[in-house]
Amino acid sequence: MAIVRGADPADLALARAGEETRGTARARYLRRWLPISIGVLLAVAMIVVAAAAPLLAPLSPSAQFSDAVLKGPGAVERHLLGTDEFGRDLLSRIIWGARVSLQVGLASVIFGFGLGVPLGIVAGVRGGPSETLIMRCTDMLMAFPTLLLALIIVTALGGSLINEILAIGVALTPNFVRLARGLALTIREQDYILAARALGGGQLRVMARHVFPNALYALVVVATLYIATAIRTEAGLSFLGLGIPPPTPSWGNVLSEGRQYIKCCPWLTTFSGLAIMLAVLAFNLVGDALRDLLDPRLRGE
Amino acid sequence: MLQYVLRRFLIAVPMLLGAMSIVFFAMRVLPGDPCVAMMGDQATTEALADCTKNLGLNRPLAVQYVDYLWRSIRFDFGNSFRQGYPVSEYIARMFPHTFVLVTASAVVAALVGIPIGIVSALKRRNPLIDYPLRIIALLGLSMPVFWLGILLLIVFSLHLDLFPLIGGGDLDGVLGMIRSGEVFSHPADFLAGVGDVLHHLTLPALALGFTLAATVSRLSRSAMLEIISQDYIRTARAKGQGERAVVYKHALRNMMVPLLTIIGIFVAIALTGTVLTETVFTRPGLGKMLVDAIGARDYPLAQGAITVFTMIIILVNLVVDMLYAVVDPRVAYR
Repeated sequence: MAIVRGADPADLALARAGEETRGTARARYLRRWLPISIGVLLAVAMIVVAAAAPLLAPLSPSAQFSDAVLKGPGAVERHLLGTDEFGRDLLSRIIWGARVSLQVGLASVIFGFGLGVPLGIVAGVRGGPSETLIMRCTDMLMAFPTLLLALIIVTALGGSLINEILAIGVALTPNFVRLARGLALTIREQDYILAARALGGGQLRVMARHVFPNALYALVVVATLYIATAIRTEAGLSFLGLGIPPPTPSWGNVLSEGRQYIKCCPWLTTFSGLAIMLAVLAFNLVGDALRDLLDPRLRGE
Repeated sequence: MLQYVLRRFLIAVPMLLGAMSIVFFAMRVLPGDPCVAMMGDQATTEALADCTKNLGLNRPLAVQYVDYLWRSIRFDFGNSFRQGYPVSEYIARMFPHTFVLVTASAVVAALVGIPIGIVSALKRRNPLIDYPLRIIALLGLSMPVFWLGILLLIVFSLHLDLFPLIGGGDLDGVLGMIRSGEVFSHPADFLAGVGDVLHHLTLPALALGFTLAATVSRLSRSAMLEIISQDYIRTARAKGQGERAVVYKHALRNMMVPLLTIIGIFVAIALTGTVLTETVFTRPGLGKMLVDAIGARDYPLAQGAITVFTMIIILVNLVVDMLYAVVDPRVAYR
C-alpha cells in the first residue's frame, strides 16, 4: 500500500496538526514568556535607575562643564553619551530624568485609579441617578484626548511635578471609571454578590469586599498599560515646555532642549527619545502580557 | 432610526456644553491676569482696569460664561490678545493645515495599520509573521511621535536633504488658487504649489501616521479576531468555502462596523498628535497654534483652539455613531 500517494487526507491532516501542535507549543511558550520577560526586565531596570539615580549617575545632572559643551558621545571620556549646550552630562541627565518619568507615571495612575475605580464601582453597582451623573461627567471628560486634557489642566495649574501628576491623573480617571463600571456591572450579577447581600452585607461592604477584589485583576492589568500612557503623556507635556521646568531634567525637556541642536548634536534628542520609548515599551509589554496571562476576557481589547 | 439619530444627537449636545464649560473654567483659574500678561508689569492700574473692561473680564463670571457659550456656538471666540485679530480668523487659516496633516496621516495609518492588523489576526499562529508584526506594532505604540519626527528630520532633512526642515508649504496659496479659479488658468503653478505642500507634508504625515498605525493595527486585529470567531464564519467554512473566500467575502465585509469605530478613535488621537507633530516640524496648524497660544498666555486663542478640537472630536463621534446605524441596521434598535 502506497503510503504517501494513498494516504487518507484525514491522516495527513492529523499528522500536520501534530506537527503544528509541537511547533506552536514552543512558539506559544516563547510568545507568552519572551515579551513579559523583556518588559519586566526593562521596567525593573527603569525602577532601579530611577531609585538609585544619585548612585548610578556618573556626574551631577546640573553640573556644567565649560570645557565640554555640546560634545558627542565619548568625545570626552568623562561623558559617555556626550553633553548638552551647557556642558551638562547627558547620561546623568537621562538617569535623573527617569525619576520624573517614573514618579509621574506611577503616581498619576495611582491617582486616576484611586479616583476613578470607586466612582466606577458605585456607578456600576448602584445604577440610577448616581450612575447617570458619574457617567455623564465621564463622557464629558472622555471628549478630551488624554494629552489635551492634561495640557489644559497643567496650563491652568502651572508646570511642576505635582501638577503634572494631577493633570495626567485626572486625564486618566475617566478611563478607570468606565472600566470599573463595566466590570462592576458583570460582577454585580454573580451569585456570590447575591449571597453576600443575603448575608446582610451593606452596599458599601459588598462593593468594597466583593466587587472591588473581583475587579482588581483586570483593573491592575489595565493600570499597567496606563503607566505607559502616563509616561508618554508626561514626555509630551515636557516636550511642549509644560512639564517640569528646567533645569530639573526630564526626558521630555532634555529632548525639547536638544531640538535646537539636531543639526550638530543629534545625540541629545536620540538618547532622550530612546529612553522614553524604552520606558513606554516596558510597561506596554508587561501590561499586554499580563492581560493575556491573567484575563483572557480582555484579550485583544 | 430617526429616533436613534435624535437620541444620539441629544446626548452630544450636553457633552459639548460640558466640555466647553471645562475649557472655560480651566482658562479662568489660570494664574496671572491676562491684562498683565498682555501689557506687562509696568502697566498703570488705570490702564489695567481699562483693559479688563475692554476684554469684558469685569463682568460677573456667570455672564461671561453664558456670553462665551453663546459666542462659541457662532464660532466667535473673541480677539487674540496678542495680535488683535479675531480668533475665528486664525482658526480658519490654521484649520486646512491640520486637516491635510490628519488626512495624510490617516492614509498612512490605514495603509500600514489595517493590513498589519488583519494579517496578524489571520496568521496569529505563524510566529514568523505574527512576531515581526507585533514588534512593529509595539514599537509604533511606544515611540513618541515627536521623537520619530526628530529622527526623520535628522535623517531625511539634515543628512539626505530630501525634505524641508520646517514649514507647511504654501497651502494658503493653493487654496487661494482654487477659490479664485486660477487652477484652470495656471495649472502648472497650481501643481507646483500642490507638490510643495506634499513635499512639506511627507515627513509629518509619516511620523504621525506611523505612530497611529500601531493603534489602528491593534484595533483592526481585535476586530478581525472577533469576526473570525463568529458563527457565520464557521458556517462559511463548514459549507466548504475556501479560506480566501471566507476572508474576503465574509470577514472583510464585516470589518466595516469596527472600522468606523476606529475612525472615531483615530480622529481624537490624531488631533492630539497634531499638537506634538506640528510643534516638531514647526508646521502651521491648530495644534501649533494652541501650544503657541499657551506659551504666550493668549487665552482667547487657546480657548478657541481647544473648543474647536473638542467640537471636532464630538462631532466626528456623532457622525460615526450615526453611520453605525446606516451600516449595521441592528444598532438602530438598541
